Amino acid sequence: MNIMSETPTYINFEEYSEHVPASIPSAVQQATSRFVGGRAARVAELPQWEELRQIGSDIRLHTIENMDVYLTRLEEKVISAGGHVHWAETAEDANRIVLQIARENNVKTAVKSKSMATEEIGLNHALEAAGIEAIETDLGEYIIQLAGTGPSHIIVPAVHLKKEEIAALFSEKLGIYAPTDPIELARIAREILRGKFLNADMGISGGNFLVAETGTLVMVTNEGNGRMCTTLPDLHVAVVGIDKVIPDWESLTVFLKLLARSATGQKLSTYTQFITGPRRAEGEFGPKVFHLVLLDNGRSKVLKDPVGREVFKCIRCGACANVCPVYKNVGGFAYGWFISGPIGAILSPQMLGTQTARELPYASTLCGACADVCPVKIPIPAILRHLRRRVAQGDEFAQPSIPAPIRVSASIVSFALAQNWLYRFGTRLLPALMSIFKRGDWIPNAPYPLNRWTKARPLPPFTAQFRRWWKVRSSKRKRDSK
Amino acid sequence: MSHPIIENVRRSLGRTAQTPLGLPPTIYESRQAESVDSEIERFLSEVKKLSGVGQKLSPFEIDVALETLVAEQNIRKTTVWDTPNLNLLGITEKLRSLGVELIPPNASKHEMALCDLGITEADYILPETGTLILHSSVEKPRAVSLLPRIHLAIIRPELLRADMHQVFAEAKDSHYLVFITGPSRTADIELTVTLGVHGPKNLYVWMLRG
Amino acid sequence: MPRAQLFITCLGDQFYTSTLQNMTNILEHLGVELDFPPEQTCCGQPLFNNGFEDKTRAVALNFMRAFSKSDAPMVGPSGSCVSMVKHHYPSLFKAGGPEHALAVDIAARTFEFTEYLVNILKVTDVGAVYPHKVTYHASCHYLREMGLKTEAKTLLNSVQGLEFVSLKEEETCCGFGGAFTVTYPEVSRSMMENKVNDILASGADTVVTCEPGCLMNIAGGLYKAESKIRAMHIVDLLASK
Repeated sequence: MNIMSETPTYINFEEYSEHVPASIPSAVQQATSRFVGGRAARVAELPQWEELRQIGSDIRLHTIENMDVYLTRLEEKVISAGGHVHWAETAEDANRIVLQIARENNVKTAVKSKSMATEEIGLNHALEAAGIEAIETDLGEYIIQLAGTGPSHIIVPAVHLKKEEIAALFSEKLGIYAPTDPIELARIAREILRGKFLNADMGISGGNFLVAETGTLVMVTNEGNGRMCTTLPDLHVAVVGIDKVIPDWESLTVFLKLLARSATGQKLSTYTQFITGPRRAEGEFGPKVFHLVLLDNGRSKVLKDPVGREVFKCIRCGACANVCPVYKNVGGFAYGWFISGPIGAILSPQMLGTQTARELPYASTLCGACADVCPVKIPIPAILRHLRRRVAQGDEFAQPSIPAPIRVSASIVSFALAQNWLYRFGTRLLPALMSIFKRGDWIPNAPYPLNRWTKARPLPPFTAQFRRWWKVRSSKRKRDSK
Repeated sequence: MSHPIIENVRRSLGRTAQTPLGLPPTIYESRQAESVDSEIERFLSEVKKLSGVGQKLSPFEIDVALETLVAEQNIRKTTVWDTPNLNLLGITEKLRSLGVELIPPNASKHEMALCDLGITEADYILPETGTLILHSSVEKPRAVSLLPRIHLAIIRPELLRADMHQVFAEAKDSHYLVFITGPSRTADIELTVTLGVHGPKNLYVWMLRG
Repeated sequence: MPRAQLFITCLGDQFYTSTLQNMTNILEHLGVELDFPPEQTCCGQPLFNNGFEDKTRAVALNFMRAFSKSDAPMVGPSGSCVSMVKHHYPSLFKAGGPEHALAVDIAARTFEFTEYLVNILKVTDVGAVYPHKVTYHASCHYLREMGLKTEAKTLLNSVQGLEFVSLKEEETCCGFGGAFTVTYPEVSRSMMENKVNDILASGADTVVTCEPGCLMNIAGGLYKAESKIRAMHIVDLLASK
């Protein structure tokens, strides 16, 4: 599997899903069932959970619909707190801005706290290409950076690797003896990364929320690496999507209560930081200079679609992926970009376009489990259907992108189902036709396109006798009553 | 004139610079505080659930508790917030008498990283989640609760707040705030919970009473 | 005397003749006067769920015409197909038009079989006898779109001799998802195998569901796993004596 940090040109979900490494489903399912259980326990403790979800949804929707106002306020407040604000229209712009800041400050090493925005823009590649060492410091991210793979799960990105593999990786890449004990491996990573934190010239982070009221960056982490990145280097650059803005601190009370409970089943994550500008005095620690890079990268365009833009309500908890039976069987890689699971299936096609990601809206059985758990009530199945319409028939935002043969088949199916005489004729014909393929009580190998069904399980035989049975019975009853 | 990105956002939303802000939704009510005693119990029990060590102490018991901690955790170097409350308790004097080396809280990050123990107060505490909330200033440097392998917070009942609403109302104009809910943790390798992966491995909370 | 129109669904029509016969018998036994409009074909869900809303309209119109000859309620043995009619038909047509009005009317009187029994006829015991260990798969649209959380279990509870055993991840999708089975066959297979493994571990000798689609998938999976466990539509179980 490749690193997924470059912007894809086509996401071949079918191909990816057919080449899922054997270790993925069971490892991912261990993680998801732990998080699902934890979430359920926390939700059960909080009687006002449903009320919180509704308010969370209302605030996010309000923020989306008034985003220009809040972004304007945010920029003003960050600047008045002594921070610098940069606007990045594209991924390339964002990378260029970060690189320029790094060059101006003579940066050689950067420590990174886990950030989806920097994955989205492929910042690590850009930094490395410019000769700047960029070190992921979240333990899981550090491991997959060493391994050179993408994340298999949003919260535990290296969950697909066994401790033996991680030990071997540490031995190979770090040139040290590493035992196969998770706690010992974590200790080794702590020591190595401690040195990196202390000597890095720049800390790079994402952000969970941007509070417009005061220009505050909110970061939620568990390990403390996020605090290291924003406390020790003299320079802190945060790259955050414009969709992360929220109105005020009162709203924050809602999201902080929803986020950790939905994500890991914690009441709160270990560390939540509220950063408003750079440090005010040298002795308090923290960066001398604070830069906020606000990333558009297609978001402002997506806002045009009143149905699809609800995707920006997302607070990145991963609960939808944890309950998604598709995700649990394919893991994070198959979604082909920085974001996976049901939320990825509705975000990527909007950000990358339906030409690139037309397969993703179909990567769901529309079972609806995601919508049940989403802490901000994103109607994921409805948006999946909405995007399927965009793919299949096109809409005001995109031309149809489904292959022509499928569109033609759909027209034929539609015609046959709408002309009931044709359907009924077919119903009389099918049992005889399909009986050729019958072996015993089943059809083990059906012809195209049902051969894709029988790859996994046989098809029951076409019986289709009800209509005749009803007719015979009805006429008999009529005769009897006469 | 706003940045072109804001202009794009506006256009997409069908708004102009003159369109007024829509009515923001009302936030739900705060949790209600219980009696101080039960809030303290609740706070300490949450800290315990998070693998922290919480206890109630009178100011006269501090010296003995410090002695025990220094011996149990083999403390050689310590850094302490320079605040009136901690000074009044004579923490640094006691530590010095125990042979512990004191690193000033504004020392270099490299020196701070060598500390076994960092002692802070908190500015607010939340009982529902067992959370310590700390400001940042020259007297209350951020690194003290982060770099040493052990973090000890000495707190008082007055810091209790019923919910985040009250904390934010008081603290939102602060330039830095951190919520600390238990010791540093990860489950990134085979979902094995490991404490102290980057931040402190041990969290002690002493609630001063009387 | 209550009247109803049989909504047999296309999967029922093609694959489950005896289930439809059993449904007819159960309803008539409960005194429902039944009608069967033969012009019905498919509700159009496969087109609708795959993005072909424009191609769904003609199919929905055929369906609505077929059932609008009578004002009797429609009863179908599938939460998914019923949900299509109930929740999505009105969205297919422009509000204010006659077709929209018809869709709203049709939607309001379409019921899933167990829903019709328990909530409309107020019947929980149909006199079935089935002395077996039975587990239950909660189908996604039946459960989440229709919100039918207790109806099937209420009916199973009254079956004589039936011992109910719980299924791990009862509410997790079996991997059917209509066209999903042929769009992503490998993912569908993994999901189906997870479901089959949970059924095998349940200790039941019968697994019951309220959805022809899930039934095809699970029954085929059990056959492939060489299991003797019987997969049944709830209608067939309720027809057992």
